[in-house]
Amino acid sequence: MLRKIIREPLVHFLAGALLIFAFFWATGTGRDPADYAIRIDETDIDRLTTDWERNFRRAPTQAELDGLIDQEIAEEIYYREALRLGLDKNDPVIRRRLFTKMRFIDSEDAENVPPTDAILQQWMDEHPGKYALPPLYDFEQIYLGQIGATQARARIDQLNDGARSAAFAQPISLPSNVKAATIEDVSRQFGDRFAGQLGRLEPGQWVGPVASGFGVHAVKITARQPGRKAVLDDVRQRVTNDWHASRQTAQKEKALARYREQYEITIAGRR
Amino acid sequence: MRKSLILAVCTAALAISACSKNTDGDDGSAQVVNTEYPEQVFWGDTHLHTDNSIDAFGFGNRLDAEAALRFARGEEVTATKGAQAKLSRPLDFLVIADHSDAMGATKAIMEAPRIALLTNKFLLRWHDMMNESDEGSLRVTSELIDGAAKGTLPESLTDPEQTRERTADLWEKHGKTVDQYNEPGKFTAFMGFEYTSMPDGDNLHRVVMFRDSPKKMGDTIPFGALAGQDPEKLWAYMAAYEKTTGGKVLAIPHNSNVSNGRMFAMNKYDGSPIDAAYVKTRALREPIVEVTQIKGDSEAHPFLSPNDEFADFGVAGWDKCNLSCTKDMPPESYAGSYVREALKRGLELTLAVGANPFKFGMIGSTDSHTSLATADENNFFGKHSGNEANNKGRVMAPQNLGTREGRFGWHYLSSGYAAVWATSNTREAIFDAMMRREVYATTGPRMQVRFFGGFDFTASDIADLVKTGYTKGVPMGGDLSGGDGEAPKFLISALMDPESASLDRIQVIKGWVDAAGKSHEKIYNVSWSDADTRKLGANGKLTPVPNTVDLTKGTWDNATGAPELVTFWQDPDFNAAQNAFYYVRVLEIPTPTWPVYDALKFRLTLPAEVIKIQQERAYSSPIWYTPSA
Repeated sequence: MLRKIIREPLVHFLAGALLIFAFFWATGTGRDPADYAIRIDETDIDRLTTDWERNFRRAPTQAELDGLIDQEIAEEIYYREALRLGLDKNDPVIRRRLFTKMRFIDSEDAENVPPTDAILQQWMDEHPGKYALPPLYDFEQIYLGQIGATQARARIDQLNDGARSAAFAQPISLPSNVKAATIEDVSRQFGDRFAGQLGRLEPGQWVGPVASGFGVHAVKITARQPGRKAVLDDVRQRVTNDWHASRQTAQKEKALARYREQYEITIAGRR
Repeated sequence: MRKSLILAVCTAALAISACSKNTDGDDGSAQVVNTEYPEQVFWGDTHLHTDNSIDAFGFGNRLDAEAALRFARGEEVTATKGAQAKLSRPLDFLVIADHSDAMGATKAIMEAPRIALLTNKFLLRWHDMMNESDEGSLRVTSELIDGAAKGTLPESLTDPEQTRERTADLWEKHGKTVDQYNEPGKFTAFMGFEYTSMPDGDNLHRVVMFRDSPKKMGDTIPFGALAGQDPEKLWAYMAAYEKTTGGKVLAIPHNSNVSNGRMFAMNKYDGSPIDAAYVKTRALREPIVEVTQIKGDSEAHPFLSPNDEFADFGVAGWDKCNLSCTKDMPPESYAGSYVREALKRGLELTLAVGANPFKFGMIGSTDSHTSLATADENNFFGKHSGNEANNKGRVMAPQNLGTREGRFGWHYLSSGYAAVWATSNTREAIFDAMMRREVYATTGPRMQVRFFGGFDFTASDIADLVKTGYTKGVPMGGDLSGGDGEAPKFLISALMDPESASLDRIQVIKGWVDAAGKSHEKIYNVSWSDADTRKLGANGKLTPVPNTVDLTKGTWDNATGAPELVTFWQDPDFNAAQNAFYYVRVLEIPTPTWPVYDALKFRLTLPAEVIKIQQERAYSSPIWYTPSA
């Protein structure tokens, strides 16, 4: 029976633990021997050698290597003593450094995961406005110059009564006839103010005055193709980029939120 | 007849520009159809820094290439210092041009495990300073700029062999991002870098931009100025690149205004005289120059052009000392620093050595270090992240980094953009347009400028200016010769930016060289608003356009200027035996500068010396006239 107990691994473990406990109790130092072990192994020596080679473009001599090892040991000793004294607390350099490290670790998974079509399609469905193919406009426009609204309205009426556009058109390097243009295309040539009014204009006749940075225009919408939902292949590159970018941001925010909810945060003057 | 002429022009364009190359583009540009001739102007920035630039990161910029590309495409991004940033209108193309020297190094130093830097006290100190605070980061940056100017940077930053591995990794990753956002026909993202040669703090910087996809570029990595401050070394790198990969690359000098007379010097880097080989190489490698940007405007200087009342634009704060402000720049040095003078020197050298080393077109770009390519006065994000739009003190903040003399926030311009007349929005078409110099510079507004030269134009050709221009003449950047002694004729138009100000005038700036080999310049006012009331004086000067700026509101009255100016002009002082160039300058009516918008936003009172009203402008590439042999 006793022999059986002596062979039991759990007993070995407990006995070992007891021994360590007894040691601390007996010496009274609270010293964990593991904390006072420094092992310089092959990988450390390799690392020291490589760093040296990178800086000096040659291998270190034995004396130089010994020096590096001594310095490594000295640094490790001071590092651990500093931790014991709590010198890592309230140090802005260490604080910022650990912040950067955590951020880096949290954003790492977001890299280089190629999304499937299903994921991209879902992303598109969640952001329908962003990828809709915009409406296309066909329109004619006559530049009336920098004239007042009343005068412009009178001319537009005359155009609808059959007056020829040449009677009022002021010369300007803008197309008089635009086909299948998006609001963005129109904005490039006519500016935002003009483009922003297109959607509200009644088609089929001369309307206006439509103001632009240049002056005022008479506009006749001749056709409007409504916008439609894009299929993935129309906008694949943009969707993929947007998905990647948003995933990276989301990942950061999610990581922070996950940590943050474990904290109770109070700010002076705020409830 | 006209149609076949257009075809002939396009065929000629194809021959020099190889725009047919779209068919073998490996980036999807093969699907994009090129127009017969450049119908559309494409807007871009060829000079943007992101967090991979040592100084940009050091100044606090934490936005990467992806954020820069998204912003340029028109997306909203959060700037480093927290403000929401969005362009009023997207750009069509972007060259991210991070400094090649120690590319990514500050980021690497800050993010490196501290222990890896222990053997290098220099870098370790910087690492700690950068991690400590924003101020520490700024100090590191000023030490870096200073160290680069004085040549005292540690070898681990400057030795190309030691940095090669890090740069190659970073460059590969960068190439992926650039490709990801390059969308032929919609938005073009170019590979590029900045070669930051700065002997004794004199600015010899160039942006280097590639026509090719990262795939075609293979294992090419950026060329650092610390490996060779002599621009001829850069040109050799470019030649080697083209030979190994079959690709194409060009270089764009910038900030000649702080080069202390060295950017367009009459001799080589080592002081020896310019020879035929140098001329040929320089003209081939540097077809365009960035003439206006955040650190001032390099078109002209009042000292060189005393008769030009508009020559002082963007000069204040930039003409006293060189880039690092380690040397004063005497006015005698200006001739090698300003672009108009360089174009004139080019003519002189044509007579002296037989060809023109300074035969370049003109573009503007931002040189912004915030990853945000902004050039609108009311949406300006500053030179670096410390001076973004939400910094209340930025107008008056001294900019003394690494310097002994003050430049202040308001000396920095919210400028400029590159305008390119290309046949499609693809790497191939935009690059080729730059090679043939069919480009122009603006200080931010997007006015559309057309400029054609020829001998067969008539005044009535302005009715169909673009087609006639291409069929009977050459566009901006082109060459004229022959003409049977008759003076060249020009078709010129400028359409205002509908989101900016109306136009004051169009000027033609002519440079020529006399029989004694000496160059001259003359400015012609050729078209202006309210021509019935504003008349030319006997001296050729025009009544100034009224100033309608209301500083309390930041507004002006567009009715003062013209929405569009179109004209036919023939040189009245032509001498067929003299080499000459002609370029166009378009002026907007007076508008407020960015500090005025800051003052309104933050309720500041601006001191008298701050420039509050300016006339924004465009500079076309020249057209050169060469007498027939």
